[in-house]
Amino acid sequence: MDSFFIIVIIFLLLNIGLGLIRLWRGPSIADRLLTTQLFGTAGMAILMVMAGYLNDLTLLNVVITFNVLSIILVICLVQVWKKKKEKMP
Amino acid sequence: MDILIDILLALLSVYLAFRCMLAPKLSKAVFVFFAFGLTLALAWIRLGAVDVAIAEAAIASGFMGVLLLDSLRDFSLTFSKNHNVIEVKPNNSVEVKNRSELFPKIGLGIGLLLFLLISLEAVWNIPEGGGLTALAGSKISESGVEHPVTAVLLNYRAYDTWLEIGVILMGLLAIFAAGGIKQYRKAGITPSQDPILRQAILIFIPVLFLFGAFLLYFGKMGPGGAFQAAVMWGAIGILLHLGGWPVFTEIPRRLRLLMLTAGLGFFLFLGLIFMTTGGALFEYPPAYAGLLILMIETFGAVSIAAALTAIFAFLTK
Repeated sequence: MDSFFIIVIIFLLLNIGLGLIRLWRGPSIADRLLTTQLFGTAGMAILMVMAGYLNDLTLLNVVITFNVLSIILVICLVQVWKKKKEKMP
Repeated sequence: MDILIDILLALLSVYLAFRCMLAPKLSKAVFVFFAFGLTLALAWIRLGAVDVAIAEAAIASGFMGVLLLDSLRDFSLTFSKNHNVIEVKPNNSVEVKNRSELFPKIGLGIGLLLFLLISLEAVWNIPEGGGLTALAGSKISESGVEHPVTAVLLNYRAYDTWLEIGVILMGLLAIFAAGGIKQYRKAGITPSQDPILRQAILIFIPVLFLFGAFLLYFGKMGPGGAFQAAVMWGAIGILLHLGGWPVFTEIPRRLRLLMLTAGLGFFLFLGLIFMTTGGALFEYPPAYAGLLILMIETFGAVSIAAALTAIFAFLTK
Protein backbone atom coordinates (compact mmCIF):
# COMPACT_ATOMS: atom_id res chain seq x y z
CA MET A 1 0.00 0.00 0.00
CA ASP A 2 2.87 2.36 0.80
CA SER A 3 4.41 1.96 -2.62
CA PHE A 4 1.03 2.79 -4.14
CA PHE A 5 0.99 6.15 -2.33
CA ILE A 6 4.54 6.88 -3.43
CA ILE A 7 3.81 6.06 -7.05
CA VAL A 8 0.78 8.38 -6.99
CA ILE A 9 2.83 11.20 -5.43
CA ILE A 10 5.63 10.81 -7.98
CA PHE A 11 3.10 10.73 -10.82
CA LEU A 12 1.55 13.98 -9.57
CA LEU A 13 4.98 15.58 -9.18
CA LEU A 14 5.81 14.65 -12.77
CA ASN A 15 2.50 16.25 -13.72
CA ILE A 16 3.74 19.50 -12.26
CA GLY A 17 6.96 19.08 -14.22
CA LEU A 18 5.02 18.65 -17.46
CA GLY A 19 2.88 21.67 -16.68
CA LEU A 20 6.05 23.73 -16.64
CA ILE A 21 6.17 23.50 -20.44
CA ARG A 22 2.90 25.41 -20.70
CA LEU A 23 4.09 27.83 -18.05
CA TRP A 24 7.23 28.53 -20.03
CA ARG A 25 5.78 28.73 -23.52
CA GLY A 26 2.16 29.75 -22.76
CA PRO A 27 1.44 32.45 -25.28
CA SER A 28 -0.85 34.59 -23.15
CA ILE A 29 -0.85 35.35 -19.48
CA ALA A 30 -4.15 33.47 -19.08
CA ASP A 31 -2.43 30.23 -20.08
CA ARG A 32 0.18 30.82 -17.45
CA LEU A 33 -2.42 31.58 -14.81
CA LEU A 34 -4.32 28.39 -15.61
CA THR A 35 -1.07 26.46 -15.33
CA THR A 36 -0.50 27.80 -11.85
CA GLN A 37 -4.05 26.76 -11.01
CA LEU A 38 -3.18 23.27 -12.29
CA PHE A 39 -0.10 23.31 -10.07
CA GLY A 40 -2.25 24.31 -7.14
CA THR A 41 -4.67 21.46 -7.78
CA ALA A 42 -1.87 18.94 -8.25
CA GLY A 43 -0.17 20.23 -5.12
CA MET A 44 -3.38 19.85 -3.14
CA ALA A 45 -3.76 16.29 -4.45
CA ILE A 46 -0.17 15.53 -3.42
CA LEU A 47 -0.82 16.95 0.03
CA MET A 48 -3.96 14.89 0.42
CA VAL A 49 -2.16 11.70 -0.61
CA MET A 50 0.66 12.61 1.77
CA ALA A 51 -1.89 13.11 4.56
CA GLY A 52 -2.94 9.51 4.01
CA TYR A 53 0.61 8.29 3.66
CA LEU A 54 2.00 10.03 6.74
CA ASN A 55 -1.28 9.57 8.62
CA ASP A 56 -1.30 13.24 9.57
CA LEU A 57 -4.64 14.96 9.10
CA THR A 58 -3.27 18.44 9.87
CA LEU A 59 -1.90 18.47 6.32
CA LEU A 60 -5.48 19.02 5.20
CA ASN A 61 -5.23 22.53 6.69
CA VAL A 62 -2.52 23.32 4.18
CA VAL A 63 -4.81 22.02 1.44
CA ILE A 64 -7.64 24.33 2.50
CA THR A 65 -5.21 27.26 2.70
CA PHE A 66 -4.11 26.72 -0.87
CA ASN A 67 -7.68 26.17 -1.94
CA VAL A 68 -9.26 29.32 -0.53
CA LEU A 69 -6.39 31.57 -1.56
CA SER A 70 -6.16 30.35 -5.14
CA ILE A 71 -9.44 32.10 -5.99
CA ILE A 72 -7.94 35.46 -5.08
CA LEU A 73 -5.18 35.13 -7.65
CA VAL A 74 -7.72 34.52 -10.41
CA ILE A 75 -9.94 37.41 -9.34
CA CYS A 76 -6.92 39.71 -9.02
CA LEU A 77 -5.63 38.85 -12.47
CA VAL A 78 -9.02 39.26 -14.13
CA GLN A 79 -9.63 42.61 -12.45
CA VAL A 80 -6.17 43.87 -13.32
CA TRP A 81 -6.63 42.71 -16.87
CA LYS A 82 -9.97 44.49 -17.16
CA LYS A 83 -8.53 47.78 -15.96
CA LYS A 84 -5.74 47.30 -18.48
CA LYS A 85 -8.15 46.87 -21.37
CA GLU A 86 -10.06 49.96 -20.39
CA LYS A 87 -6.87 51.95 -20.53
CA MET A 88 -5.77 50.52 -23.89
CA PRO A 89 -7.36 52.16 -26.93
CA MET B 1 11.21 4.72 -1.80
CA ASP B 2 10.71 7.97 0.14
CA ILE B 3 14.03 9.17 -1.15
CA LEU B 4 12.61 9.25 -4.70
CA ILE B 5 10.02 11.86 -3.73
CA ASP B 6 12.61 13.89 -1.87
CA ILE B 7 15.08 13.87 -4.76
CA LEU B 8 12.34 14.84 -7.23
CA LEU B 9 11.15 17.67 -4.97
CA ALA B 10 14.67 18.96 -4.39
CA LEU B 11 15.50 18.93 -8.10
CA LEU B 12 12.21 20.61 -8.97
CA SER B 13 12.63 23.40 -6.40
CA VAL B 14 16.21 24.23 -7.33
CA TYR B 15 15.35 24.12 -11.04
CA LEU B 16 12.36 26.42 -10.51
CA ALA B 17 14.43 28.82 -8.43
CA PHE B 18 16.98 29.09 -11.24
CA ARG B 19 14.26 29.45 -13.86
CA CYS B 20 12.61 32.19 -11.80
CA MET B 21 15.80 34.22 -11.52
CA LEU B 22 16.87 33.76 -15.12
CA ALA B 23 13.43 34.33 -16.69
CA PRO B 24 13.65 36.77 -19.59
CA LYS B 25 10.22 38.27 -18.96
CA LEU B 26 8.71 39.51 -15.72
CA SER B 27 5.42 37.69 -16.31
CA LYS B 28 7.27 34.39 -16.64
CA ALA B 29 9.25 35.05 -13.50
CA VAL B 30 6.09 35.79 -11.51
CA PHE B 31 4.33 32.60 -12.54
CA VAL B 32 7.41 30.43 -12.07
CA PHE B 33 7.61 31.95 -8.59
CA PHE B 34 4.14 30.55 -7.80
CA ALA B 35 5.23 27.08 -8.83
CA PHE B 36 8.37 27.52 -6.72
CA GLY B 37 6.24 28.43 -3.70
CA LEU B 38 4.20 25.28 -4.17
CA THR B 39 7.24 23.00 -4.29
CA LEU B 40 8.65 24.77 -1.25
CA ALA B 41 5.43 24.12 0.67
CA LEU B 42 5.66 20.44 -0.27
CA ALA B 43 9.30 20.39 0.82
CA TRP B 44 8.37 21.85 4.21
CA ILE B 45 5.78 19.10 4.60
CA ARG B 46 8.44 16.49 3.84
CA LEU B 47 10.62 18.09 6.53
CA GLY B 48 7.75 17.80 8.99
CA ALA B 49 7.16 21.55 9.41
CA VAL B 50 3.44 21.88 8.76
CA ASP B 51 3.31 25.35 10.37
CA VAL B 52 5.84 26.70 7.92
CA ALA B 53 4.03 24.99 5.05
CA ILE B 54 0.79 26.79 5.90
CA ALA B 55 2.63 30.10 6.20
CA GLU B 56 4.34 29.45 2.87
CA ALA B 57 1.04 28.59 1.20
CA ALA B 58 -0.72 31.62 2.67
CA ILE B 59 1.90 34.34 2.47
CA ALA B 60 4.18 33.31 -0.38
CA SER B 61 1.58 31.87 -2.71
CA GLY B 62 -1.47 33.86 -1.71
CA PHE B 63 -0.51 37.32 -0.58
CA MET B 64 2.77 37.68 -2.45
CA GLY B 65 1.06 36.32 -5.55
CA VAL B 66 -1.58 39.03 -5.45
CA LEU B 67 1.03 41.75 -4.89
CA LEU B 68 3.23 40.43 -7.71
CA LEU B 69 0.33 40.17 -10.14
CA ASP B 70 -0.63 43.67 -9.25
CA SER B 71 2.84 45.07 -9.74
CA LEU B 72 3.10 43.21 -13.03
CA ARG B 73 0.53 45.62 -14.38
CA ASP B 74 2.76 48.58 -13.61
CA PHE B 75 5.82 47.07 -15.20
CA SER B 76 4.45 45.64 -18.42
CA LEU B 77 2.46 47.80 -20.78
CA THR B 78 0.31 45.03 -22.18
CA PHE B 79 -0.56 41.56 -21.11
CA SER B 80 -1.71 39.76 -24.21
CA LYS B 81 0.46 38.42 -26.98
CA ASN B 82 -1.42 40.37 -29.66
CA HIS B 83 0.30 43.52 -28.60
CA ASN B 84 4.00 43.71 -28.34
CA VAL B 85 5.03 43.04 -24.82
CA ILE B 86 7.16 45.89 -23.70
CA GLU B 87 8.84 45.61 -20.37
CA VAL B 88 10.81 48.15 -18.47
CA LYS B 89 14.48 47.48 -18.97
CA PRO B 90 17.22 49.17 -17.05
CA ASN B 91 18.76 51.39 -19.71
CA ASN B 92 21.85 52.53 -17.93
CA SER B 93 24.69 52.71 -20.40
CA VAL B 94 26.79 49.56 -20.51
CA GLU B 95 30.05 51.13 -21.60
CA VAL B 96 30.36 53.18 -18.43
CA LYS B 97 31.23 50.17 -16.33
CA ASN B 98 33.46 51.80 -13.80
CA ARG B 99 34.50 50.83 -10.32
CA SER B 100 31.27 52.07 -8.77
CA GLU B 101 29.47 49.02 -10.16
CA LEU B 102 32.21 46.62 -9.19
CA PHE B 103 32.25 47.45 -5.51
CA PRO B 104 28.60 46.55 -4.74
CA LYS B 105 29.08 43.23 -6.53
CA ILE B 106 32.17 42.39 -4.49
CA GLY B 107 30.41 43.48 -1.32
CA LEU B 108 27.38 41.35 -2.11
CA GLY B 109 29.59 38.39 -2.96
CA ILE B 110 31.49 38.61 0.33
CA GLY B 111 28.24 39.02 2.25
CA LEU B 112 26.68 35.96 0.64
CA LEU B 113 29.85 33.94 1.24
CA LEU B 114 29.83 34.87 4.92
CA PHE B 115 26.14 33.98 5.15
CA LEU B 116 26.86 30.61 3.55
CA LEU B 117 29.68 29.97 6.03
CA ILE B 118 27.48 30.91 8.98
CA SER B 119 24.68 28.61 7.83
CA LEU B 120 27.13 25.77 7.19
CA GLU B 121 28.49 26.24 10.69
CA ALA B 122 24.94 26.19 12.10
CA VAL B 123 24.10 22.97 10.26
CA TRP B 124 27.43 21.33 11.10
CA ASN B 125 27.36 21.95 14.83
CA ILE B 126 23.90 20.80 15.87
CA PRO B 127 24.26 20.40 19.65
CA GLU B 128 24.18 16.96 21.18
CA GLY B 129 20.75 15.77 22.27
CA GLY B 130 18.90 18.38 20.22
CA GLY B 131 19.86 21.46 22.26
CA LEU B 132 16.88 23.00 24.01
CA THR B 133 14.26 20.68 22.50
CA ALA B 134 13.95 18.46 25.57
CA LEU B 135 13.72 21.44 27.93
CA ALA B 136 11.09 23.14 25.77
CA GLY B 137 9.09 19.92 25.53
CA SER B 138 9.07 19.34 29.26
CA LYS B 139 7.61 22.79 30.04
CA ILE B 140 4.73 22.71 27.55
CA SER B 141 2.16 22.01 30.28
CA GLU B 142 3.09 25.37 31.86
CA SER B 143 3.01 27.35 28.63
CA GLY B 144 -0.77 27.34 28.28
CA VAL B 145 -0.86 25.72 24.83
CA GLU B 146 -0.42 22.15 23.61
CA HIS B 147 1.40 22.73 20.34
CA PRO B 148 5.19 23.13 20.80
CA VAL B 149 5.61 25.61 17.92
CA THR B 150 2.98 27.96 19.36
CA ALA B 151 4.50 27.59 22.82
CA VAL B 152 7.91 28.65 21.49
CA LEU B 153 6.55 31.50 19.37
CA LEU B 154 4.17 33.06 21.85
CA ASN B 155 5.51 32.08 25.22
CA TYR B 156 9.19 31.17 25.35
CA ARG B 157 10.29 33.58 22.66
CA ALA B 158 7.43 36.07 22.67
CA TYR B 159 9.88 38.93 22.23
CA ASP B 160 10.77 37.71 18.71
CA THR B 161 7.13 37.38 17.72
CA TRP B 162 6.37 40.84 19.07
CA LEU B 163 9.14 42.28 16.89
CA GLU B 164 7.83 40.32 13.90
CA ILE B 165 4.45 42.00 14.22
CA GLY B 166 6.38 45.26 14.40
CA VAL B 167 8.27 44.43 11.20
CA ILE B 168 5.02 44.22 9.24
CA LEU B 169 3.92 47.59 10.63
CA MET B 170 7.33 49.02 9.70
CA GLY B 171 6.89 47.72 6.16
CA LEU B 172 3.55 49.51 5.90
CA LEU B 173 5.07 52.71 7.27
CA ALA B 174 7.89 52.47 4.75
CA ILE B 175 5.36 52.16 1.92
CA PHE B 176 3.47 55.19 3.23
CA ALA B 177 6.71 57.12 3.49
CA ALA B 178 7.77 56.20 -0.03
CA GLY B 179 4.44 56.96 -1.70
CA GLY B 180 2.99 59.74 0.40
CA ILE B 181 -0.09 59.12 2.50
CA LYS B 182 -2.28 61.38 0.35
CA GLN B 183 -2.26 58.89 -2.47
CA TYR B 184 -3.93 56.48 -0.15
CA ARG B 185 -7.19 58.35 0.07
CA LYS B 186 -7.92 58.08 -3.58
CA ALA B 187 -11.60 57.92 -4.38
CA GLY B 188 -13.16 56.85 -7.60
CA ILE B 189 -13.46 53.09 -7.28
CA THR B 190 -17.00 52.06 -8.06
CA PRO B 191 -18.53 48.77 -6.91
CA SER B 192 -18.31 46.16 -9.59
CA GLN B 193 -21.51 45.28 -11.45
CA ASP B 194 -20.20 41.91 -12.59
CA PRO B 195 -22.59 39.29 -11.14
CA ILE B 196 -19.97 36.52 -11.14
CA LEU B 197 -17.50 38.62 -9.22
CA ARG B 198 -20.13 39.73 -6.72
CA GLN B 199 -21.25 36.16 -6.07
CA ALA B 200 -17.68 34.90 -5.77
CA ILE B 201 -16.88 37.57 -3.22
CA LEU B 202 -20.08 36.93 -1.27
CA ILE B 203 -19.36 33.21 -1.14
CA PHE B 204 -15.70 33.45 -0.25
CA ILE B 205 -15.77 36.08 2.47
CA PRO B 206 -17.54 33.89 5.08
CA VAL B 207 -15.33 30.94 4.12
CA LEU B 208 -12.17 33.00 4.55
CA PHE B 209 -13.34 34.45 7.85
CA LEU B 210 -14.33 31.08 9.25
CA PHE B 211 -11.14 29.34 8.16
CA GLY B 212 -9.05 32.19 9.54
CA ALA B 213 -10.79 31.94 12.89
CA PHE B 214 -10.31 28.18 12.83
CA LEU B 215 -6.58 28.52 12.13
CA LEU B 216 -6.29 31.07 14.93
CA TYR B 217 -7.89 28.81 17.49
CA PHE B 218 -6.32 25.63 16.17
CA GLY B 219 -2.88 27.14 16.77
CA LYS B 220 -3.35 26.13 20.39
CA MET B 221 -3.15 22.42 19.61
CA GLY B 222 -1.76 22.09 16.11
CA PRO B 223 -0.25 23.88 13.12
CA GLY B 224 -1.85 27.28 12.67
CA GLY B 225 -1.74 30.60 14.45
CA ALA B 226 -1.96 34.33 14.18
CA PHE B 227 0.08 34.95 11.03
CA GLN B 228 -1.71 32.33 8.95
CA ALA B 229 -5.09 33.50 10.20
CA ALA B 230 -4.13 37.09 9.44
CA VAL B 231 -3.54 36.28 5.78
CA MET B 232 -7.01 34.73 5.58
CA TRP B 233 -8.60 37.83 7.13
CA GLY B 234 -6.43 40.12 5.05
CA ALA B 235 -7.64 38.26 1.98
CA ILE B 236 -11.18 39.41 2.86
CA GLY B 237 -10.08 43.03 2.62
CA ILE B 238 -8.22 42.35 -0.62
CA LEU B 239 -11.25 40.65 -2.15
CA LEU B 240 -13.49 43.57 -1.18
CA HIS B 241 -11.01 45.99 -2.71
CA LEU B 242 -10.91 43.98 -5.92
CA GLY B 243 -14.69 44.05 -6.03
CA GLY B 244 -14.65 47.82 -5.73
CA TRP B 245 -15.65 48.22 -2.11
CA PRO B 246 -12.65 49.87 -0.49
CA VAL B 247 -13.68 49.04 3.06
CA PHE B 248 -10.35 49.77 4.60
CA THR B 249 -10.08 53.29 3.25
CA GLU B 250 -13.61 54.06 4.29
CA ILE B 251 -13.45 53.21 7.97
CA PRO B 252 -12.61 56.22 10.15
CA ARG B 253 -8.96 57.14 10.47
CA ARG B 254 -8.79 56.67 14.24
CA LEU B 255 -10.28 53.19 14.04
CA ARG B 256 -7.91 52.31 11.22
CA LEU B 257 -4.88 53.36 13.24
CA LEU B 258 -6.20 51.48 16.24
CA MET B 259 -6.62 48.33 14.16
CA LEU B 260 -3.12 48.61 12.77
CA THR B 261 -1.43 49.05 16.14
CA ALA B 262 -3.66 46.92 18.38
CA GLY B 263 -1.54 43.78 18.04
CA LEU B 264 1.77 45.46 18.76
CA GLY B 265 0.34 47.60 21.54
CA PHE B 266 -1.61 44.90 23.36
CA PHE B 267 1.34 42.51 23.21
CA LEU B 268 3.66 45.12 24.71
CA PHE B 269 1.06 46.16 27.30
CA LEU B 270 0.73 42.58 28.53
CA GLY B 271 4.48 42.11 28.45
CA LEU B 272 5.01 45.18 30.60
CA ILE B 273 2.10 44.67 33.00
CA PHE B 274 3.60 41.50 34.40
CA MET B 275 6.96 43.19 34.72
CA THR B 276 5.47 45.45 37.39
CA THR B 277 4.62 42.43 39.54
CA GLY B 278 8.18 41.18 39.42
CA GLY B 279 8.12 38.99 36.28
CA ALA B 280 10.38 39.17 33.28
CA LEU B 281 9.45 40.96 30.05
CA PHE B 282 6.72 38.99 28.25
CA GLU B 283 6.24 36.57 31.12
CA TYR B 284 2.67 35.42 31.74
CA PRO B 285 1.31 33.69 34.84
CA PRO B 286 0.92 29.99 33.89
CA ALA B 287 -2.70 29.86 35.08
CA TYR B 288 -3.89 32.42 32.49
CA ALA B 289 -1.25 31.77 29.82
CA GLY B 290 -3.61 29.98 27.43
CA LEU B 291 -6.24 32.73 27.49
CA LEU B 292 -3.67 35.52 27.24
CA ILE B 293 -1.95 33.86 24.28
CA LEU B 294 -5.29 33.51 22.49
CA MET B 295 -6.04 37.20 23.11
CA ILE B 296 -2.61 38.27 21.87
CA GLU B 297 -3.03 36.12 18.78
CA THR B 298 -6.47 37.57 18.05
CA PHE B 299 -5.30 41.18 18.33
CA GLY B 300 -2.15 40.34 16.40
CA ALA B 301 -4.13 38.68 13.62
CA VAL B 302 -6.48 41.67 13.34
CA SER B 303 -3.65 44.15 13.03
CA ILE B 304 -1.60 42.03 10.62
CA ALA B 305 -4.70 41.53 8.47
CA ALA B 306 -5.31 45.28 8.52
CA ALA B 307 -1.69 45.94 7.57
CA LEU B 308 -1.82 43.47 4.67
CA THR B 309 -5.04 45.01 3.40
CA ALA B 310 -3.52 48.46 3.72
CA ILE B 311 -0.43 47.43 1.76
CA PHE B 312 -2.57 46.02 -1.02
CA ALA B 313 -4.99 48.95 -1.02
CA PHE B 314 -2.13 51.38 -1.17
CA LEU B 315 -0.31 49.69 -4.02
CA THR B 316 -3.45 49.23 -6.13
CA LYS B 317 -4.11 52.69 -7.38
